[in-house]
Amino acid sequence: MTFFDIGLSVALVICVAGVGFRVARWRGKWASPESSSASQWCFGVASLKALVLDVLLLARTGRTSAFRWLAHALVFFGFMGLLLFHALDETVTAFFFPAYESTLDPWQFLRNLLGLMTLVGLALMAFRRLWEKRLRDLTRFQDWAALLVIGGIILSGFFLEASKIISPAVFDRMVEAYFIPETDRDVTALKAFWSHEYGVVFSVPYPSDAETLGFGASLNEDSCVDCHADTGTAFVSRSLATALGPVAFAMNTSRADQVFWYLHVLCCFVALAAIPFGKFFHPVTTPVNLVVRQGRRDDPEDMLPSDGGRGMGMDACTRCGECSVHCSVAPAFSVLGNAMILPSEKLMALRQIHAGASLSEATLTAFSEGSRLCTECLRCTEICPAGINLQDLWIASKAQLVSQAPSPNDLMRNKTPSQRARVFDDLCASSVVPAVTGLADDSTSYWACVQCTTCTSVCPVVAVSENPSGDLDLLPQQIMNLLRMGLKEETLGARMVWSCTTCYKCQEHCPQNIRVADVLYELRNTVAARIRDGGVRCSKKGESQ
Amino acid sequence: MTGRDTLYDVMVIGAGFAGMAASLFAARHGLNVVQTGATGGIDFSTGFIDLMGVHPVEDGKRWGNPWAAIEAVVRDCPDHPYARLSKDEIAESINCFTEFLTEQGLEYVGHTDRNICSLTPAGTVKRTYRVPETAWNGSLALERKAPTLLVDFHGLKGVSGAQIVETQKQHWPGVKAVRVAFPGGRGELYPEHMAWALADPAVQQKMMAEVLPHAEDIEYIGFPAVLGLNDPGTVVRHLAELSGKRIFEIPTIPPSIAGPRLRAVFDRGLPGLGVRTLSQKLVTGVTQRSDGGFDFQVGSGPATVSISAKKAILATGRFFGKGLRADREKVVEPIFDVPVVQPAQRDAWHNPAFFAKQGHPINRAGVEVDARLRPIGPSGEPLHDTLFAAGAILAHHDWMRMKCGAGLAIATAFRAVKELMR
Amino acid sequence: MNILQTTVLIVGGGATGTGLARDLALRGVSCLLAERSDFNAGASGGNHGLLHSGARYVASDMEAAVECRDEGQLLKAMAPQCIEDTGGLFVAVEGDDEQYVADFEGMCRKSDIPARALDRSEAFECEPLLSDKLIAAYAVDDAAIDPFMLSLDNMAHALDLGARVLRNTRVVRFLRENGHIRQTIFLDETSGETFAVEAEIVVNATGAWAGIVAALAGADIHILYSSGSLLVTQDRLARQVVNRLRKASDADILVPGGTVSVLGTTSVTIDSPDLCRPTVAEADRIVEDAQAMMPVLATTRYIRAYSGVRPLVLTGESGDARSVSRGFSLIDHARDAVDNFITITGGKLTTFRLMAEKTADLVCAKLKVDAPCLTRTEPLPASTMGRWTEPGLAPKDWVRNRDEDDLILCECEMVSRNTVDAVIAAMPGMRGKSMLKAIGLRSRVGKGPCQGGFCGLRITGHLYDQGHVSGEQGLSELSSFVERRWRGFSPILWGLPMVQADLQEALYCGVLDMELDHNTDDLTCEDDE
Repeated sequence: MTFFDIGLSVALVICVAGVGFRVARWRGKWASPESSSASQWCFGVASLKALVLDVLLLARTGRTSAFRWLAHALVFFGFMGLLLFHALDETVTAFFFPAYESTLDPWQFLRNLLGLMTLVGLALMAFRRLWEKRLRDLTRFQDWAALLVIGGIILSGFFLEASKIISPAVFDRMVEAYFIPETDRDVTALKAFWSHEYGVVFSVPYPSDAETLGFGASLNEDSCVDCHADTGTAFVSRSLATALGPVAFAMNTSRADQVFWYLHVLCCFVALAAIPFGKFFHPVTTPVNLVVRQGRRDDPEDMLPSDGGRGMGMDACTRCGECSVHCSVAPAFSVLGNAMILPSEKLMALRQIHAGASLSEATLTAFSEGSRLCTECLRCTEICPAGINLQDLWIASKAQLVSQAPSPNDLMRNKTPSQRARVFDDLCASSVVPAVTGLADDSTSYWACVQCTTCTSVCPVVAVSENPSGDLDLLPQQIMNLLRMGLKEETLGARMVWSCTTCYKCQEHCPQNIRVADVLYELRNTVAARIRDGGVRCSKKGESQ
Repeated sequence: MTGRDTLYDVMVIGAGFAGMAASLFAARHGLNVVQTGATGGIDFSTGFIDLMGVHPVEDGKRWGNPWAAIEAVVRDCPDHPYARLSKDEIAESINCFTEFLTEQGLEYVGHTDRNICSLTPAGTVKRTYRVPETAWNGSLALERKAPTLLVDFHGLKGVSGAQIVETQKQHWPGVKAVRVAFPGGRGELYPEHMAWALADPAVQQKMMAEVLPHAEDIEYIGFPAVLGLNDPGTVVRHLAELSGKRIFEIPTIPPSIAGPRLRAVFDRGLPGLGVRTLSQKLVTGVTQRSDGGFDFQVGSGPATVSISAKKAILATGRFFGKGLRADREKVVEPIFDVPVVQPAQRDAWHNPAFFAKQGHPINRAGVEVDARLRPIGPSGEPLHDTLFAAGAILAHHDWMRMKCGAGLAIATAFRAVKELMR
Repeated sequence: MNILQTTVLIVGGGATGTGLARDLALRGVSCLLAERSDFNAGASGGNHGLLHSGARYVASDMEAAVECRDEGQLLKAMAPQCIEDTGGLFVAVEGDDEQYVADFEGMCRKSDIPARALDRSEAFECEPLLSDKLIAAYAVDDAAIDPFMLSLDNMAHALDLGARVLRNTRVVRFLRENGHIRQTIFLDETSGETFAVEAEIVVNATGAWAGIVAALAGADIHILYSSGSLLVTQDRLARQVVNRLRKASDADILVPGGTVSVLGTTSVTIDSPDLCRPTVAEADRIVEDAQAMMPVLATTRYIRAYSGVRPLVLTGESGDARSVSRGFSLIDHARDAVDNFITITGGKLTTFRLMAEKTADLVCAKLKVDAPCLTRTEPLPASTMGRWTEPGLAPKDWVRNRDEDDLILCECEMVSRNTVDAVIAAMPGMRGKSMLKAIGLRSRVGKGPCQGGFCGLRITGHLYDQGHVSGEQGLSELSSFVERRWRGFSPILWGLPMVQADLQEALYCGVLDMELDHNTDDLTCEDDE
C-alpha cells in the first residue's frame, strides 16, 4: 500500500467512526421531561427551499452581514468546487467530462480561481475574527485550526502546482513518457520553449532565439498540448512560480514538488479525519440542520425527537459568533468577563452537558451565571446562520441547572430581610474609604444627587408592588443614599437589587444624570461574584470583588 | 425620522417650560425643530402656571391682577424680561400654550385678568394664573370657604391634610382632614404609582368608600395630586360621580405628579408636530458654522449625537437646569460661554436670611439680551445673530419671589421664536 | 412667679455644663441645668469633634498637651460609644516649616505623647488622598468624638441620677444679697414667662457667653471671642484624623466621623458670641489652604459649613487669639465678692471632663460635701437621647429592624418616622422655638446634602399629623429650621450645592410661597392695596 492509500484509509476510518459517534451522541440525556413523540421527518417543499436558499445560497448567512456572506460564500463555493471537480476528479469530473485532464483548461484555470476564492474567503474570515473585539476574545483553537487546515490545503496545492511548473524533473518525466525525440535539438528546442513559455526552470539556460522557440512551439503542438495547456492560465500558481524564481534552483534540486505533494495530501487527510471534531463537523451538520428544520426558527412538529434535534442543532454550530455579537446581554460579558454569558460559548458547554460529561464546578457556576443573565430575547436564535434553535436550548438547559448550581437570587431570597442585611455586613468590619473599584464605591457617583426621589417614583418595579419598601427592602433612592454614605454592605441584600429589570427609567429620568440603573446592576454582580467565590468576602482594600 | 446630516431650522436647548414652549411655538410655525435637555424644571413643577404675582418683592406685595403687576414691574424694573414683551404677546403665548395642553387632554383653566388662589402642600395660599382643571375646585372651595374635606394617605409622605387644616382653619373653619389607607397599598407610597393605580375604576371606588363616611355635610373633597397619570380629568369626574361632591387635587411636593403629567403631554405631543426630541441628553459641545448656524455635540460617550441647526434657542434655565454653573469665583453659562450679569463676588450672591423678602442677588443674575432676545456681550452687541435666549436664564428677574416663572418662560420663548423667524 | 429649688444651678448646656451635671449627680449633689436654647449651642457643637492626642499642643502649650493626652485616653475607656478611635496623622508638605517638623518628634517625647514617624508609602497606605508633596508624616492617637452624643449621654445619665434640666430658658438677671446670689431669674423663651431658681451655688458654664452672664452677677471676666468656621464634606475622605504638621493655623485639621469629614478651622475675632456664623470668605480660605494637605479638598462636594466661638479668657492684656492659652479658666467669683458664683470656661472639648471635675471639686468644697469624683472610673452609659446622632445608625436600623408601616422622612440620612418619634419621646418635655431644630440636633435629620430641603417639609407634616404643632407654628418652625440650615449652607454655594440650593429655593419660595407672610385673610385675590 502506498502512503496515499494508507493515509486515506486511516483518515476515512477516523472520519466515519467519528461522525457515527457524534451522530449517535445527538440523543443525549436531557433532564427536561420532553418526550420524543415526533413522527418521521420527511423531505418536502420547505426542505427543498431551505436546501436551495439557506444551504446553497447561504441566505441565512446573508442576513448577518454582506461581508460575512461574501467570506463564507467564497470559501463555500471555492472549496466545494475544488472538492468536487479536483479532489474527486476521477469519480466526478471524469464522469461528466471524459476528456478531463487536470492540466488542461478550463480545469487548470478553474482550480486556480476556486483556490484563490477560498483563500480570499479565509483571509476575510481571519480578518473578521481579529478585527471585531468580542469575536477576537471568543475565538478558540478550533476556529484557527479550521482556518489553518483549509488554508493549508489550498496553499500547499498552489505551492505544489507552482513547484511542478518549475520542475525540470517533472518535465523530464513527461518527456520520457510522452515524447520521442528525433534529435537532441528536439529536446533542446522543447526545453527552450517550456522554459520560456511554460515557466520550467532548468539548471542551464536554453536559447531563446525565435527560431528555437518556434521549433519548440511546433514540437509542443505535436506532443504536449493535448494534455498541457499553457501554465499561464494557472494564474496563481504560475505567478507564484515566477515569484519563486530566486529559489527555483534550490527547490528543483530538493524535489520540492514531491515535498508539497506530501504536504498537500497530508493536509487533505487531516481535514478529512478532523471532520467529526469541533467545527470541522459543521459542513456536514449545518446543511442537515437547515434542511431538517426547513428554515424555521422553531422545530417542525414532525422533526427528529426534540432531544436528537437539539443534539444535531448544537453540532450544526459553525462558531461564526454572530449570536454573541448580537447578544442582548453581551455588555454584561464586558463587565463580568464570563464568556459563558455569550450564546456561542454557552453552546460549547451545553454540548458537553448534553453528552453527559460532568463539568467542573467553576465551569458549571459560570454557565449558570450566563444562563441566568440570558433574557431569552431571541436575538441569537433569529440571527443564527445555521438555523439552530438556540432559545430552546437555553430554556431546556435552565431547568437542569437549577438543581446543579443554585442562583444567588434564590440564595438571597430564601433568607429573611434581616438575615440578608447581615449576610454582607456582619462578617465585614466596615471599612471606610473603600478602594474605588466601581461606580458603587465611588462617592462621586452620587455627588450630584439632590434627593428628589424621582428614580423611585418612575420605577416600574416599585410601581407593581403593593408594599414597595416591604417587598423590595430598599427603594432605588435609598440604595443611592446608603452608597453615598459608604454603607454598601447594607444595600447588597436588598431585594430591589435583585428585582431591577434594568429598564433604565430611573437613570433616564434622573435630573442629575446619576447612573442609578448601572449602579444597581453592578451591585447585583457584586453579590453574584461574592456568592460564586464560595461565600461572603469583604470588600477590604486591595481585595478584588 | 430625520437623518443624521439634517440641518435643522432651530435647536432648542432645554426641556423645561421655556424649552417645551419654544419647541411648540417653533414647530407650530412650521420650522424643523430639534430639542435637547434633561429632566428639569417642568418635572418638578406643581403644574401651576404663574404669570406675575408679587411686586415689589421687598414688600411682599401680592397682586390679584397679573397684568397690573406686570405693568408695575416693567415700570419699576425696566430690565425685567417682561419689559421686552407686549401684553398681547404674553397673553397670546399663554393661551397658545394652554390650548396645546388642552388639545393633548390636560385641560387648564383660569381667569383672563385675575390670578387664582390655590392651596400649596405646605398649607400656604399661592396666587397663580392658570391651573390644571383638576385643581380648579380647590380654588373655588378656598375662595368660598366652603365645607371641604382634605384627604391624605397612610404612607404618602410629605402630604399632611392636618397641616393644611391647621394653617387655614383660622380663616376657613369649614375645612377638615382625614387620613385613609390607599387601596392595596402599604408602607411607603409614591405619587406616580398611586396615580397608575387610580386609573382603575375599582380602585377609585374602594378609595371613595374609605373617604365618604367622613364627608357628611361636605361640598368639596381635596386629594393629593395622585388622581391618574395620563387622564386626571376622567378620574376626577368619576370620583365626583361616585361621591356627589366636587373633587380637586392639591399638588404634592416634588416629585409630584403634576410635573410628569405636563412632561408627558410634551413627550406625546411634540413628536407629533415633527419635533425631534433628544430627551435626557445635554449639549456637551458647540461650534459655530461658517453659515452662522451651529454644530452641536449632544450627549457623551458612545451615545454622542451630532446635530446641526441654523439657529438656536438657549432655554437651559438656571442652576438646577444646568443653564448656569456656579464656580467658586463666578457664575458661567457653560454651553456658549455667554457673559453672565452677576454680583462681583460670591459673598454678595446670597442674603444672610434664606427667606429674605428682597431675594438673593444671585437670583437676578443671568444672561443679558438685546431687544430681540439675543444674548449680548460686554460691548452690547449680540454674540451671535442666530442665538436667542428664553426663560429663567435671562437676567433681571426673580421668578421665585415674583411668581412669574412659567409665564416668563412661555412668553419669552414665544418672542424668541418670533424673532428667530424674522 | 414660679420658684424652683436646687442645690446647684448650672447655667449652660454644653459639654462642660452637662458633664458637670453628671459629675455632681454622681456625687449625690442635686442640680438643675438651664440652657438658653439647646444642648451644645455654642462651642461644644461648633468644633471639629476631635479628641486630641495632645500632639497639636506640644510646641505651644505642654500643659494642655499632657491634659489632652490623659483625658483622651480616659474618655476612650469611659465613653466609647461617643468615640471613633480613628488614630491620627500629622503631615507636612513642601513649603511647611522644616524646623517645626524636625522638632516635632522630640517635643512629643518630652510630653510623653506617642508619635511614630511614617515613611511615605506607609503614609499613603493609611491615607491615599494625601498630597504627593508630602515631606513628613507621624502617627498619633487622635480620635473623633461626637460632641452631641457626648453631651446628650452626660445629660441623660445626670437625669437618671436625679438631676433636672430646662431648655430654652435664658438668664435674665441675678438677685444678689450681701455678695450672695439668692435667686436667678430666667425667661422661658417658649412661653415668654419668667421664673426664679434658688440655689446654693450657681455655676456659669456658658462658654463664650460666660463674660456676659458673669456681668449680670456683677463679676468681671474678659473674654476674646474667636470664631472658627468648619466645612463638612459629603464624603469621608480619610480614615484617620489628618493634622497639618505646622504651627497651629487655619484649615489644618480634617476629622473624619461616620460618613463625613469635618475640615477647619479659621480664627476670626468677633465682637459678640451671638455674631458667630460661617462666611463665604472663611469657606474659601479653608478650601484654598487645605488643598495643600489633600488636593481632593479643592474639588470635593461640601455639604455645609458651621462655626463655633472659642471663649479665650484674657488673663492679662488683650492679645492675639491663637497665642492665648487654650487651657481652661475656673474662676471663683468670691474674688469679685460674689461668694456662691463660679465660672468655668475656656478649655477644649477633649478636657471637658477634667473641667467638670475641677468645677465639681470646687462646688463640693464650697458645699462642704465630701464626695470623690466618679467620672474617672464610672463609664458613661449610652442613652436613647444620644444614640441617634450616630451617622449611619438610622439607615442600619431601617435595614435591620424594619417596621412594615414605617416611612423614611429624611432621605439623605435615612431617618425614619419611627426614629423621629423615638427622638421626640426621648426629648424631655420641652419644645422651645423649634421642635424641628431639636430633632435635628438629636439625630442626623437635615445634615445630609438636602440640608433640610425635603426632610424639613416631611417632618413638619408629621409633626402636624401627630399634633405636636398646631396653627401656623409648624410653618414658622419650618422657616426657622430652614434658616438655621441656611447659615451653614450659604457659604458653600458653588458647584453642586448651588444646584441643591436653587432647587430648595424654587420649592420653598417658588412653589410654597413661604417667604411671604402667610398669616393673611386675603383670599379675594384682589390687589393688596
